Amino acid sequence: MFPGKRVATWAAAIAAIALVTFIGRILGLNATTVGFVYLIVVVFVSVWGDLLVGTVSSVVATLCYNFFFFAPLYTLTIAEPANWFALAAFLISSVTVNRLVVTARTLAQKAEQRRNEIETLYALSVDLFAATNRVGALGEAAGRALQLLGARGGGLVVFAGSTYRQTVISWNGEKPDEIEDLIAGVGRHKEPLEFPSPLGRDVYLPLFVGGRTTGVLVARGTTASKRALESAARLVALAVEREHFIEENAHMQALRESEALKTSLLRAISHDLTTPITAVTIRTESLRRRADADRDLLDDVDAIAEETSRLRRRIDNLLAMARLEAGKSKPRREPTPPADLFRAARENLPLVFAARPVTVHVDADCPDANVDPSLALEILVNLLENAHRVSPPGAPVELVARRHPLDADKIRIEVLDRGPGVPPGVTDPTGNVAETTDVAQRGLGLEIARSLAAANGGSIGLAPRAGGGTVARIDFPAALLPVEEQA
Amino acid sequence: VTISAVVLLVDDDPAIRDSLSKELRAAGYTTVTATNGVEGLAAVQSHAPDVILTDLAMPRSDGFELISALRASSAVPIVVLSVRGGDADKVRALDLGADDFVTKPFSVTELLARIRAQLRRTTTPPPTALSFHELTIDLERRRVVQGGREVRLTPTEFSLLELLATNAGKPMFIEQIIARVWRSAPGTTADTVRVHMSSLRKKIEPAPSEPRYIVTEPWVGYRFIAEPL
Repeated sequence: MFPGKRVATWAAAIAAIALVTFIGRILGLNATTVGFVYLIVVVFVSVWGDLLVGTVSSVVATLCYNFFFFAPLYTLTIAEPANWFALAAFLISSVTVNRLVVTARTLAQKAEQRRNEIETLYALSVDLFAATNRVGALGEAAGRALQLLGARGGGLVVFAGSTYRQTVISWNGEKPDEIEDLIAGVGRHKEPLEFPSPLGRDVYLPLFVGGRTTGVLVARGTTASKRALESAARLVALAVEREHFIEENAHMQALRESEALKTSLLRAISHDLTTPITAVTIRTESLRRRADADRDLLDDVDAIAEETSRLRRRIDNLLAMARLEAGKSKPRREPTPPADLFRAARENLPLVFAARPVTVHVDADCPDANVDPSLALEILVNLLENAHRVSPPGAPVELVARRHPLDADKIRIEVLDRGPGVPPGVTDPTGNVAETTDVAQRGLGLEIARSLAAANGGSIGLAPRAGGGTVARIDFPAALLPVEEQA
Repeated sequence: VTISAVVLLVDDDPAIRDSLSKELRAAGYTTVTATNGVEGLAAVQSHAPDVILTDLAMPRSDGFELISALRASSAVPIVVLSVRGGDADKVRALDLGADDFVTKPFSVTELLARIRAQLRRTTTPPPTALSFHELTIDLERRRVVQGGREVRLTPTEFSLLELLATNAGKPMFIEQIIARVWRSAPGTTADTVRVHMSSLRKKIEPAPSEPRYIVTEPWVGYRFIAEPL
């Protein structure tokens, strides 16, 4: 209540009592009537003023009542004992009425304030959640919320990782340096902080979602209730979280779109590179069919076929790598019997299988491999090509699949050749082909095989073979069969 | 093989159309070509081909559209010419109703074998016995002979073999196999199929390290090879 109204209420109360007394005397009203009028004055004073002015008015009215209307007149003594009762009843009822009226009015005021706060919070929630499906509206909404809550300054600060890496989303009024430390402290302790300030209170409210503090809402010089401020902080906290998700979602969307682009680009490249090679392959086969008798021509055609096949293999390699890099083919693993891998290798490298004996053996108890079949084939074909390249003409290459000797959850595929053996510097001391920057020394084929094996949860290694040559091994996770039920 | 079987070749690339048509004609087929799905559909109406070879990626109307449109009214065998790395496309094409696929760059020999398998599957009346190389399957008496010796199969194994062999040359989805052999019995999983298939393959393959009759088809299921390489 502002001071001017206070003075006016006191003056009005005294004037009203004096007026009632004066009129009562002039008109010679009886004591009972005057008592009722005094009571009406007290009720009105209570409605306008606070408890103190009401109580004082009650007492003053009682004294005037006694002084001017009860015999003996113009004294504070009372002759008739019955009048004591009348006066006491007047005092008690006037004080009680005063209290009731003031209490009712205070409650109404509080309810009004609460209603205002709830309306403010509702408006805030609409601001934060209905209007902001764009990034950046959060700051405006937080600023508006503080204004509505009667804060004269302050703003919204969010943490980026740690409580000392603060991002100011919005701020009103001055921001002294020590505020940063206060905000960090509130963020760490996750408790609101409150100080008296010249224009109300300064309140620091942590924004708390899912067990962590994402920022602090600062309301400086506010008169709003603690409950309202905390509700506002909860709303803003949810909005900060929501905005975070919107940003993340937009980021994911962008990633997905760039992946889709890479995927369609790769598909187009694959199609465009493969088509001419297919035409060349078909023409070469046609030539071969017609060159039956001509030894020289046949040699040339075979050379073209061989080179075409090499070119095709390099393109396959690069496309497989590009697909892995593009993140498109997350390896899609499924149980793959090694015998089927070997068969697919034969279909892929018909010239190698035609040029030299390739023996194939799968142990009867060898489990299936749990691999991406096309990536596994790529690896096997690369190692087989390597073996073919280094082996003397006519020397056999062997393909073997068996259980891993040590690890029951793996299978081991071996490609055995009679070439010059493991080149130095290609493997680590345990025989594994490890990651290196020196791809030239190792050859593209081996490097691609290594990367693809790693993507399949496997590894490759090279070891000298007894009697000369190399054993290239691929270890793949096994796809163990469930126990066979009887049909 | 029907001597003058008509092959419709749908591919947008002239180099493929020309070279492949020539090889197909050399192998005794009559060929019709089209450059996209719409033309392909028109050619089906006007030429009633016995088998269709189609590329997937084509401008205007692609292979998927052609397959869907054809399957609404026709059972003519469709072999898809797919590219490497197009595994998802391959599975989708088979799912839409394509019968088989070859991966570019394919060998003509392989493609001709696939075409023969499709023609054989669709033009001969349902036989009482099937015979592939050294394997004979007596469908009436449910007996199997491999290399002159009878192979004892469980009823489930026989049903598996029967399903695959009567669809020789056509990749069968695991889900199709479960539906046809197990009548979608609850609890039947891909692993159930794997277990029985593994034991069937051990029994009928003369050399299990080098399968010649049944092979896995990545991301699809299994395929019975009509003509071993």
